[in-house]
Amino acid sequence: MKKQQTFLVYRNSGNGKVRYERYEVPLSKGISVLEALFYIQDHYDSTLAFRYACRGAICGSCGMTINKVPSLACRVQISGIKKTKEPKNLPEIKFGDLPKWDQENEILVEPMPNMEIIKDLIVDMDPFWKFYREVEPYLDREWNNNSSESYQSPLEMKKIERLVYCILCGLCWACPVNSENSNYLGPAQLAKADRFINDSRANAEQQRSILNRVLKEDAVPACQKYFVCNRVCPKNVMPGTAIKDIRDKWIKEKD
Amino acid sequence: MKIEQFDVVIVGAGLSGLRAGLELSTQWNTAVVSKVYPVRSHSGAAQGGINAALGNLEIGKNDTPKRHAFDTVKGSDYLADQDVVMFMCEQAPKIVVEFESMGAPFSRLDSGLIAQRPFGGAGFPRTCYAGDRTGHALLHTLNEQSIRKGVTFFDEFFLIDIIKVRDQVVGIITLDIAKGELVIFRAPYVILATGGFGRIFKQSTNALINTGDGNGAAFRAGVPMQDIEFVQFHPTTLYGTNILITEGARGEGGYLYNSKHKRFMKKTAPEAIELAPRDIVARAEETEVLEGRGIEDAYIHLDLTHLGAEKIKERLPGIREISMLFAGIDPIEEPIPVQPGQHYSMGGIATKYGGDYGETELTGLYCLGECSCLSVHGANRLGGNSLLETSVFGRAVGRRLLENGRLNNVSIEDIKRAENNAIDAVEKLFRRWNDNSGHKPVDIRETMGIVMNKNVGVFRNQRDLEIAYDKLKNLQESFKSVYVSTEDRRFNYGLIRTLELRNMLDLAECTTFAAIWRKESRGAHYRLDFPERNDEIYLRHTLVYRSKDGLDIKTKPVKLGLFEVKERTY
Repeated sequence: MKKQQTFLVYRNSGNGKVRYERYEVPLSKGISVLEALFYIQDHYDSTLAFRYACRGAICGSCGMTINKVPSLACRVQISGIKKTKEPKNLPEIKFGDLPKWDQENEILVEPMPNMEIIKDLIVDMDPFWKFYREVEPYLDREWNNNSSESYQSPLEMKKIERLVYCILCGLCWACPVNSENSNYLGPAQLAKADRFINDSRANAEQQRSILNRVLKEDAVPACQKYFVCNRVCPKNVMPGTAIKDIRDKWIKEKD
Repeated sequence: MKIEQFDVVIVGAGLSGLRAGLELSTQWNTAVVSKVYPVRSHSGAAQGGINAALGNLEIGKNDTPKRHAFDTVKGSDYLADQDVVMFMCEQAPKIVVEFESMGAPFSRLDSGLIAQRPFGGAGFPRTCYAGDRTGHALLHTLNEQSIRKGVTFFDEFFLIDIIKVRDQVVGIITLDIAKGELVIFRAPYVILATGGFGRIFKQSTNALINTGDGNGAAFRAGVPMQDIEFVQFHPTTLYGTNILITEGARGEGGYLYNSKHKRFMKKTAPEAIELAPRDIVARAEETEVLEGRGIEDAYIHLDLTHLGAEKIKERLPGIREISMLFAGIDPIEEPIPVQPGQHYSMGGIATKYGGDYGETELTGLYCLGECSCLSVHGANRLGGNSLLETSVFGRAVGRRLLENGRLNNVSIEDIKRAENNAIDAVEKLFRRWNDNSGHKPVDIRETMGIVMNKNVGVFRNQRDLEIAYDKLKNLQESFKSVYVSTEDRRFNYGLIRTLELRNMLDLAECTTFAAIWRKESRGAHYRLDFPERNDEIYLRHTLVYRSKDGLDIKTKPVKLGLFEVKERTY
């Protein structure tokens, strides 16, 4: 096993100047890319900016592009990085002039694609949250102290279970449609819509309200079935399949 | 100087903060301030479930809130305040059903009712769950309802300090992480819901953001830390990374084996076996390893293989994913290597004796959830009670403040003076850190984690604790000359993590100090030199203060009366 690993990291202080910097990080058993970034921040440059929280692939904070593949940094171990396959249909992800990158020996770390870069590996998530809110991502039902438990069969629960696991990390915005259309609602958002449309507890009025939004031009119909979202999703939510579900159920009927 | 004005400011957007925010937003101008986006909060990491005596299973039919309260009090080794526990357990069925009404995706029984599973230290299968990602399900549900109700959020704002005038809180000073600007939130009520501080230990299940920012701010404002020596070490954390493996894995029937392939819990807890409370299982595991029966002299096996692929995939999919991803092991095929790791802080910001739930000695300052000590967990928390605590008291404190009415008893001149002082103090601190040429924060942080792990862990003794205390005092000295660049403050996580370290050092010091003081063994606090519980002297809550001459301890009585204090066996 190598003792050191070279990282080639995208830096951008927000004033328009982009640079890539190389750092040597000592290797330890099981070390993840996130831990390596902390090493760089702790020992070389405390201003290196990236988001993080749980380090266990459940909070969705540390989305970034690692060796040209959108990933959660905590979930990528350096020892296993060579096994990462580039997802089919993933558009080329570019952030300006990349210096010579030795793909065999260097790990390239860049921000998430298709979002505005604020500083280093930090992107502007505001559009992501804005579009999330637009799908009315909630059960629209009054609750109070005297609410009673509603029944839901295990089978009905199963229908939404996969969609519930979405951690809203934003990696699915690597979709080629997102790269071309900044108004596209986005795979995670549409998956969330599908989760509430299919909740046996949601009423018809709420279903209609969500559908009104997601059947608009920049939402479900904009999906080109690349299924990049399914491939980059770290939680197997399969947003593309959810979009297909909405399309199959609700668009054909309209025709 | 930027000032935001509200009736109440809540710091933290995990389950406690969100639930309080939902309640207060109905009538008051409310801000929820958090250093991360709400769904990134550590509540989302909770796996196993939330306890409520719903009796949804046939074998749980005779469960009652009182039985739940008894299990909780016994689990706490009788240090919990019994009236507060009773309130929590009575509210539990209602709060779980409320979650369900909000849309929480609970797992279901064939009857269509919310599914429940057995958990450690509980007489009935009482733990309601959503697979093994219950915290995630509940956190997202509250976030969804907060969007629906239009709650006002300030995401990525870091709490630096509390601002007070005499003994009345008047607001907080924060750093807008994105813009790098200091922002004051002026409010007569501040609710701290900032979560735990497990990161004072090197080996912890906690998120990297669990650094006790609310605790540190409260402590600097003169509010003591209560029962802070009680640290829960979870018996099943993944060997190496210490990522949590839910107690639900044992609830579903998982076994613990030593290197001789013996289920060693049979001798420690003949009846409960693997489902004894966490403190007991963690000590048993540590003993196996210390006595040479650990696997590779380091860990224990959590075996799920006999449960079968179907059950594992259905009930414990998250555990399977974590094991495969972070340990390269599929629990369907192989046992999971586990070890005890810091998991939960039973202690926290002290609550006022005889005050409202969560009320502190500082007028207008309240605390909720893991950062607080209400005290419902006493010396050891039962699994499934932390999610419960957050939501029950988030709702209760919100309601109580609305009943109490708005506060307005400090002159605007006094408030402005205090705000200016707060700004000056922070600017001075940042300048000093920037001009210093001393230690890097990382050196201090790592030493602290190692010391806490080694000397203030599962088994403690006077000598080790004193060594730790001396080292921590030295680290406090080193921290005075800590260097970090504060020139560009936008997304300056080097700076944020130094502010976090400032909080953690105080909390590590308090934890060790209280552990030295408590010369008995109770719940999670186990002293090899004082292995017995001593109710005569120590059936008291500790309160650690900072005085002029260093740390100091006071105590306050435990609220008893519902359940007799007895020996604790399982």
